[in-house]
Amino acid sequence: MKISELILSQQLAKICGSKKITNNPEILKEYSTDMSFFMGEVPKFVIWPSKTQEILKILKLANQMNFYIIPVSSSSKLKQHGDTVPRKDNCVIINLSKMNKIISLDKKNRVVMIEPGVTFRDLIPKLKQKGLRLLLPLYPTGTKSVLTSALEREPIVIPRYHWDSSDPLLCTEVVFGTGDLFRTGTAAGPGTISQQRKAGQAQLNPMGPTQFSPFRVIQGAQGSLGVVTWATLKLELIPTIQKVFHYQSNNIEELLNFQKQLAKYRLCDETFILNNLNLASLVRNTSEEIENLAKSLLKWNMIFIISGRGDLAEDKLDYLEGDINDLIRESNLVHLEKSDLINSDVILRCVNESTSKPWRTRYKGYYQDLFFLSNFENISNYILMVESNYSEDLGIYIQPINQGTSYHCEFDYFYDPNNDIKLNEIKRKFSEISIDLMDSGAFFNRPYGYWAKEMYSRHIEQTSIALKKIKRIFDPNNVLNPGVLCFDD
Amino acid sequence: MLKKQILEQFQNLVGPENIDDSEVMTNAYAYNWCMELVNCMEEKEPIPFSPIPKAIILPSSVEEVQQIVKLCNKYHIQFKAQSTGLGPWNQPSSENCIILDLRRMNKIVKIDDKNLYAVVEPYVSGAQLQAETMKYDLTVHMPGAGPQVSPLASATSMNGPGFTSPHTGHSARNVLGVEWVLPDGEILRLGSTGLKNHPDWFSGDGPGPSLRGIMRGWAGAKSGIGVFTKVAFKLFPYPCSTKFKLKGISPNYEFEIPDFMKLYVMDCKNYKYLEKVFLAVEEEEISFICSHLSGYGLGAIFSNSIESLMDKIPIASTHAPLVIVIAARTSREFEYKQKVMNKIMAEFKLENIIGTKYTPNSLFYAEALRSNLGLHGFIATGGFQSSKGQCDSAPLCLNTTKMSIPLKKKYIKKGVIANDFGEGVWMTSYESGHYFHVESPTLFDQTTEKSVKGMAENMEENYQFDLIKHLGAPFFVEGDRMHDKFGPHMMDYHKWLRKIKKAFDPNGIADSGFYISAK
Amino acid sequence: MDEKEYQKMIKRCLRCSICKWIPQVQIKSQKYATACPAIDLYNYHPYSGGGKIILALALEMGRIKPSEELRDIVYKCTECGNCAIACKFLNTLEPLEIIMRLREKLVEAGCGPMPKQKAYTDAVKNVNNPYSEPHENRMKWLPDDIKIDPNAKLLYYIGCTSSYRRKEMAIAAARIMNAAGVAFRILQDEEYCCGSPILRTGEIHTFQEFLNKNVDIIESKGIETVVFSCAGCYDTFKVDYPLYRDYDFKVCHTVEFFNELLEAGKLKLTKEIPISATYHDPCHLGRNAERYEQWDGEEVKLIPLISINIPPKPKRTGKAGIYDPPRNILKKIPGLKFIEMERIREYAYCCGAGAGVKSAFPEMALNTAKIRIEEAEDTGADVILSACPFCSTNLQDGISESGSKLKYYDISELILMALGLEPEKLKHVLAEVA
Repeated sequence: MKISELILSQQLAKICGSKKITNNPEILKEYSTDMSFFMGEVPKFVIWPSKTQEILKILKLANQMNFYIIPVSSSSKLKQHGDTVPRKDNCVIINLSKMNKIISLDKKNRVVMIEPGVTFRDLIPKLKQKGLRLLLPLYPTGTKSVLTSALEREPIVIPRYHWDSSDPLLCTEVVFGTGDLFRTGTAAGPGTISQQRKAGQAQLNPMGPTQFSPFRVIQGAQGSLGVVTWATLKLELIPTIQKVFHYQSNNIEELLNFQKQLAKYRLCDETFILNNLNLASLVRNTSEEIENLAKSLLKWNMIFIISGRGDLAEDKLDYLEGDINDLIRESNLVHLEKSDLINSDVILRCVNESTSKPWRTRYKGYYQDLFFLSNFENISNYILMVESNYSEDLGIYIQPINQGTSYHCEFDYFYDPNNDIKLNEIKRKFSEISIDLMDSGAFFNRPYGYWAKEMYSRHIEQTSIALKKIKRIFDPNNVLNPGVLCFDD
Repeated sequence: MLKKQILEQFQNLVGPENIDDSEVMTNAYAYNWCMELVNCMEEKEPIPFSPIPKAIILPSSVEEVQQIVKLCNKYHIQFKAQSTGLGPWNQPSSENCIILDLRRMNKIVKIDDKNLYAVVEPYVSGAQLQAETMKYDLTVHMPGAGPQVSPLASATSMNGPGFTSPHTGHSARNVLGVEWVLPDGEILRLGSTGLKNHPDWFSGDGPGPSLRGIMRGWAGAKSGIGVFTKVAFKLFPYPCSTKFKLKGISPNYEFEIPDFMKLYVMDCKNYKYLEKVFLAVEEEEISFICSHLSGYGLGAIFSNSIESLMDKIPIASTHAPLVIVIAARTSREFEYKQKVMNKIMAEFKLENIIGTKYTPNSLFYAEALRSNLGLHGFIATGGFQSSKGQCDSAPLCLNTTKMSIPLKKKYIKKGVIANDFGEGVWMTSYESGHYFHVESPTLFDQTTEKSVKGMAENMEENYQFDLIKHLGAPFFVEGDRMHDKFGPHMMDYHKWLRKIKKAFDPNGIADSGFYISAK
Repeated sequence: MDEKEYQKMIKRCLRCSICKWIPQVQIKSQKYATACPAIDLYNYHPYSGGGKIILALALEMGRIKPSEELRDIVYKCTECGNCAIACKFLNTLEPLEIIMRLREKLVEAGCGPMPKQKAYTDAVKNVNNPYSEPHENRMKWLPDDIKIDPNAKLLYYIGCTSSYRRKEMAIAAARIMNAAGVAFRILQDEEYCCGSPILRTGEIHTFQEFLNKNVDIIESKGIETVVFSCAGCYDTFKVDYPLYRDYDFKVCHTVEFFNELLEAGKLKLTKEIPISATYHDPCHLGRNAERYEQWDGEEVKLIPLISINIPPKPKRTGKAGIYDPPRNILKKIPGLKFIEMERIREYAYCCGAGAGVKSAFPEMALNTAKIRIEEAEDTGADVILSACPFCSTNLQDGISESGSKLKYYDISELILMALGLEPEKLKHVLAEVA
């Protein structure tokens, strides 16, 4: 260890205690890569703070001693997308997995306040006990940080509850790159959180304080502007009954049109479209099971779920189902094929619970996910583009989001990591098609890894200029996750 | 007035007919509603005129706006942009300012019924847009200020609760793509709108962080961070049949109430009970409108004149009324929603005043559908402004209501504000009860100094009260004075906001009277 | 509006811009949502009803002075009153009356009316009509074969515009009355301008002279009913005269009168007229043709700062406008398909000619007419109808200027055709007038 590293190590140990810091090469190596194609540097240390005060001190130290901080929320080895892989060689990983308290759970106001280390596996059952549910991404991995998922704007599966693109993220407590503590939204005050609560406030409104909404720039920043130490998330009440519908077609347009009607009139809760391979991967466990099911499914599969709660749950289901059937008749969608190949309980598990093994890894062990936002009209075209570039072992997932105003389009390239030839082909094709898609209007709004540079160069220059101004305000010394997004200087 | 050589340059940009720096025009633009109150609060003469702008300019395109802003930077003249222009926030804070009246930018760029959003320019009114979206079975969120105001202004620059918020959310949260002329004259296009190839309006966030975060916040930057020239925002399903038939002559129209629409008014008697009922209704996700108003406020939304308030005694005497409008596309949906309401009424032992003690004119339903109810706050055509404006949980909003009663009564006793027993509030749910908003509309006489001063004192004391009782930041925390007052109690946010102002408006050209200056 | 009320009202504009739009609940499209030609064409806020209230306040406060610039804004207004209808949907201001009062004040200050309007009003003073036509030519429109009964109790008051400029309207009205066997008389050389052009440009004193002269003559002849084919004269007699002087005769417009004749079976429309037509409500016949109701109540302080009028003070909201009679007539014409425009009845868009605009700002008048013609075209109709000579002239100018294929007729012309009364003769007359 160099002298400077030694001093750094001592200083960090002073903040968190020596047991909470490591430079064990094996552990460090784990942080130098993830499941994505993105290759990075090995960090100098990993540190596990357990309090906000420690993070504040670490950030202040980073500003004084010129080292970099990369916040990581969970201890899972299943990280994707390369956003926490160091791009510089003077990085310290702050692993927030020890900050895993559910600070408060408020049924009346349908909100939970959690620390970043809280995982889906921890939170979902606790909420369930109280009759509450999170707005979940599709069958999330249990060890994943709930807060990170929200900070990364992962798509949720119920578009009608997706009132704003930022949902379910509400208020946050954040340590900016400057080392200053801040609270966003109504959590900013006046008063401390306990004083606010005494007045009845529940940190529900993410907007503000007053004339700016800093939570929106922290979200999607890949940890480059601040370290979020807690956040409140919007919850919904658990339904008493959920009824699953599975429609199939070889023509995705038919399903998209149907789904559009459901979204427009807010007739269903969860709704998404998967190709046969992805649906099979979602609901089966082994490669063989997946292949078998995929073969028996039509190419395109739309799942939607209607639900009811309380005494009138059945009444609600009757009305929804009746109206949906009318819609099918009126929209001349009668040749859609209704399927009961998959047990409803299995599908419900995918939307209500977390999985111990990422469902995208079940088929081949490894995957790369290519995703972006699209409007309604371009979805089919993008599918054609990707399929003409690579169609073997390709999972496709189309998720309407934000009240149905846009679509998360995801292409999962499943592969065996031990097959180098295949791997190289996928790497090349993945990169090529990403560029082609960007050039065709696919909006990579979460530009991870290598996408960032390409995406920003395809976006008006003012965007990078504006973001750099923001970066200079909240992290003027560029101590947080350097090199991500357009912060390459 | 502008110097001749500067005036000529502006004239060259927009044509001589679209800039005017005459005494008559600039004085007329110095007037606005509640300006006397703002002046009073700033210890100026309580007249309804702001500093007189140097000129009024009417650009017709984003390019013209950009060039105007660049000229402003060149000559160190501030600008204030306005769309439909209601309220003191449209006014310049100094005489070194021109007003950009965006009236000529009035296109509905598109209504995208596939992607469920509309793109509009600044001078499209809410009612205009809604009339067009109704053709697609869709509706638009409109702020409480009414359907005559600009949805663009509400989405980009103003606060945005509305009567239909349970169903249509909040203006700020409905924003997708944005076209924005920054204070230095550069054009920013947010999200997918900023793509060099195939730009589209469906997303306003990213790539990466969302610049919507510096665009407006909760209260809106009121032109202090640039000029918004186009915005896309979500559309929502029109709640019932779009057949809209009126008979008769204004204002006594008879409306053919759609088949599947029903109004409930329930007197919850006290705030604690109101909270329970409010939350119970909103958890069911059935309401198109779900608001609490004071008894008088309730009377006002059913009245077209102050005189006609008189026959609303059965409703004006309610104590904690909750107003719910349900509407449905189908008979099944309608029946289900009615069942839910019946269940709630039975559970809470409440009765529907409507149809028993009171039956409103059918026009109420038309106004509910067309977001016209907020304008009933103006039936006295007197001074009217809201203190409070908090947005968070139902308990917070109701605590705020309860706690502000003695304060309001103090000013009622002084005879400077109208007597609503201190209870005059409007509280609405957003997004099926995920948030609540409360404001305290207060009537005063804008033509007498005593009342204006009293109202100003009332506002100030309310601010202080909100601060010390931790009731959240009210609506009008804007301008240096207010930010400096609230900032130190709110994580020093004002320091960060100032940094943003400085970074995006290095020359201080966007008028900051209702925003923040870089200082 | 008296001075006290004026002073009170000008301090209370909310600048809400409601006055720029038709009643919000009536808005059916983006294109036809607006109410005010002046703000539509000139954009700056002071051109709106509310904007003019602000000007009135600024003038009273001495912030601005009477000037040509102020005058131009105040007179670029057709006084169509659409702003007032919109404002009074919920509010209590009277923007139209404030504008009229503001014009009076500008005249008093020597700053109004517009020079061209001044020429018109001078002509009224000198030769009893605004067109400077010789008074002796006033009855030259009258064909020989029209039967006049000099002793009739019913007077047909032709008006300056129908006498000199829109003779076809006068002829049609007279022929219809003949066809129905209605005995009517005319004032011959004792008919003078009703005073509307003078009133609406702010010369209130001269207006009163004409008012008195006209009422004196009519009353002296024992006339019981006066029928007008000019909406402007009708409005002036019906609404404005009683503000200054009571009279003891009844007034009605030809559309009301002819509708009654049709209802009574005295006229039968038998000839098929296979056209699709839309109808333009003249401001003077529609929303503005509502009399001021006497109110003797008092303003009572309900609670501090909130006063109410007991009994409620009647609001003029256009409810007494003549909307149904013309529509009833059209529905009785065989073969005619009637299609409404979007802005109708009390919130109909103005043709653009009123209150001296046609003379002082012909371009504004024309551009307004073009907007209205486009609205009529958008209905898919072949014909636009109305019942006012000013609307007639201006809308026809709008048709030719915009190259529209629409045809304009006065309702009386159409009745004449549907009566089968020598339509070719009518065509001849039309050519002659042209």
